[in-house]
Amino acid sequence: MIGIIDYGSGNVQAIATIYKNLNINYQVITKPEDLVKADKLILPGVGAFDATMQQLIDSGLKDKLNELVLGKKVPVLGICVGLQVMGYKSEEGNLPGLGWIAGKVSRFDENKIKFKPKLPHMGWNTINDVQNHKLFEGIDRDFGFYFVHSFYFECEKEHNILTTSNYGGEFTSSIYANHIFGTQFHPEKSHGNGVQLFKNFAELELC
Amino acid sequence: MLRSRIIPCLLVHNKGLVKTVKFKEPKYVGDPINAVKIFNEKEVDELIVLDIDATRENRGPNLEMIKNLADECRMPFCYGGGITTVEQARKIINLGAEKVALSYSALNNINLCQEIGAIIGNQSVVVVLDVKKKKLFGGYDIYTHNGTKKSKWKPDDLVAKLEEIGIGEIVINSIDNDGTMQGYDTALVENIRKNCSMPITVLGGAGTLDDIKNLISKFKIIGAAAGSLFVFKGKYRAVLINYPNRQERKPLY
Amino acid sequence: MKEIDYQICTNCVMDTTDSKISFDDKGICDHCNTYYKDILPNWHTDERGDRALKQIVKKLKKEGEGKDFDCLMGMSGGIDSSYLLYVMVEKYGLRPLVFHVDAGWNSQIAVNNIERLVDGLGLDLYTEVINWEEIKDLQLAFFKSGVPHIDVPQDHAFFATMYKFASKHNIKHILTGGNYSTECVRNPLEWMYYQSDSIQLRDIYKKYGTGKLKDYPVSNILWHKIYLPYIKGIKLIKPLDYIPYDKDKAMQLLVDKYGYQKYPQKHFESRFTRFYESYWLPKKFGFDTRKVQYSSLILTNQMTRNEALEKLKSPAYDPETIHQDFQYIATKLGISVEELQSYMDAPNKTYKDYKSQDNIYNIGAKVMRLIGLEKGGKR
Repeated sequence: MIGIIDYGSGNVQAIATIYKNLNINYQVITKPEDLVKADKLILPGVGAFDATMQQLIDSGLKDKLNELVLGKKVPVLGICVGLQVMGYKSEEGNLPGLGWIAGKVSRFDENKIKFKPKLPHMGWNTINDVQNHKLFEGIDRDFGFYFVHSFYFECEKEHNILTTSNYGGEFTSSIYANHIFGTQFHPEKSHGNGVQLFKNFAELELC
Repeated sequence: MLRSRIIPCLLVHNKGLVKTVKFKEPKYVGDPINAVKIFNEKEVDELIVLDIDATRENRGPNLEMIKNLADECRMPFCYGGGITTVEQARKIINLGAEKVALSYSALNNINLCQEIGAIIGNQSVVVVLDVKKKKLFGGYDIYTHNGTKKSKWKPDDLVAKLEEIGIGEIVINSIDNDGTMQGYDTALVENIRKNCSMPITVLGGAGTLDDIKNLISKFKIIGAAAGSLFVFKGKYRAVLINYPNRQERKPLY
Repeated sequence: MKEIDYQICTNCVMDTTDSKISFDDKGICDHCNTYYKDILPNWHTDERGDRALKQIVKKLKKEGEGKDFDCLMGMSGGIDSSYLLYVMVEKYGLRPLVFHVDAGWNSQIAVNNIERLVDGLGLDLYTEVINWEEIKDLQLAFFKSGVPHIDVPQDHAFFATMYKFASKHNIKHILTGGNYSTECVRNPLEWMYYQSDSIQLRDIYKKYGTGKLKDYPVSNILWHKIYLPYIKGIKLIKPLDYIPYDKDKAMQLLVDKYGYQKYPQKHFESRFTRFYESYWLPKKFGFDTRKVQYSSLILTNQMTRNEALEKLKSPAYDPETIHQDFQYIATKLGISVEELQSYMDAPNKTYKDYKSQDNIYNIGAKVMRLIGLEKGGKR
């Protein structure tokens, strides 16, 4: 069962509809005690870093989440700000992140972006494989995914970078560390590519 | 590389989809749900749906319709029409929309943009400017209530204010070019773009894919929205939903 | 109700789910025998057919001189009307106005295919959009009535609109994709009653509809079977009956030439028809229209009986995605999934439970067959 975490941030509805149509068992989770029921978790996220972290703390889910992801190694997929909060900190805010992945969140350097409107990076962009992973099986890299963000994740360790994309230079568009995954783009808003990614995530066999 | 967004824009009137010409003579186009489903299957970049009666009828958004439409969208979905409170905006986002579009309610109370942005995130707040050329001396006026009431806001002032507040996107909708399929008003866009660093989407006048290509070529990164182009076909303006497929989009960027 | 022993035709795959079926001493059904006796001997797709069609085309071209188009062609996006369009324009040089009726259920494939062909052949398109709120109400009324023929609202609108348009613009010839090649076996009346019976339509709407049908085009049998053809001189032509028509070859040609998209099954250009034929009819009534379609293909040597039997072993609908379709139908109709299910579970009715013009059809059909104007047909 895929647990879609609803802590007030992100398009939970869209993710739920996708799993419903795929006939994959899912549950929208709002309470900490329901987190344990999930085999895999999805952490959506939209908006500002601090606001999102605060929502996560206020929801009462943060501690249980830490326990399950770091302790029990429950696979998790973070989306957009849901990925960003997995780092140590963000240039955008003051609160510390979850610290699941070694890295921090930085703002795009506007000087490196050629055309107006420089930020946010909004629209469809391609992805480039840095590593091959089943998460991206069957996905059209050229068609890409939908992005909308002004900050991006900087991995400390290169082996955590799964894909990059180009916006004023290469930046990390998805990461992974064993059972922890994150995408800067929105698979729930990326047509067939997104549906495939969600399907792949559900079918990943991780021990 | 980031691609400019090509966005179908649908108008809802009396529960059905319509297309107008210069905001008048609504022609019935059909059921919104099936149209959105087809656009989704055609993998459109984004979709805008505007309820053109809500403000004039002084009523709020039809949440049931919004939910049904959002359910069909595997791409970003922007809804506008009759949103006057933060609570409505929040509900609409929870139903699965990505963005909410404001027109009259923002012009009437500019702080609403900030209030809504604080709850759903600034990136999700879109302001639509319906503009018409002034009769004399050049320049443009902003209109609300489906093109029937002139706003006191001047386009430049409004854009500056929105830039100061920080919202997700502005949609420049040309009333003069609406439904004419004779091309976008690029002079208008240039004018606004000069002093604006926010994302801009242009609506009104697209008649061929070349219009979109030319818009993107001129402005590099921009939202190219269209109604008639993606809903009509041929000289009889036969209703037939269309949108370039993945291959056909490539030459447009 | 009398229990009938199950029996399936030894030649095609029609069986006793068609309760009026009869078999000869070889176990061959009356559908097959009607085909061999009445249809096949009079059906010519060789030089005779070509000659006859050329005569018709000559007449159409003459009447169309100086006009923007010489005939009206109904186009659903389906393979029959699409292939017809291609042939009549490319091989016979006609200039049709392509006419499409949007009843609110178009699939993306249908819309794509119409666009590809209209663009590829350089034709003009005219679309009539049916008032969705009204047809929605009518559709719901049909669900509530419990009858099998719930596809009537779409079909009726299609024909009524096309005839009205032809009549209004004085167009004498309507070309449709109806054909013997894939339709020589017709759906039994018990499965699909006449879509043109407006008495039945109005009675069902009166009993279960909630509003008024103001914009929805209601035709009537006398108007379109007698007044239009015999008084206004508007004729319906089925050109695909004059030429060789192999469905698979036709499909491939359109794919290669125009970027046509294939449909998983006949009539899948409408989301509703797909749901209706693959799920609602078989599940609620035990009527599987694939038997009719495959039997036609068997008789015209485009499919073997074994292939048909093999395909019929699995359900027509996709069990993985049917819940999505069910949900979509309910959402479109503005009802809950539970309410839609309640109509599925309600008692089955037939066309006889409501007012109808079926006696007129019976007399009419007999007359037509007597004077040789119609071969085979519904029963």
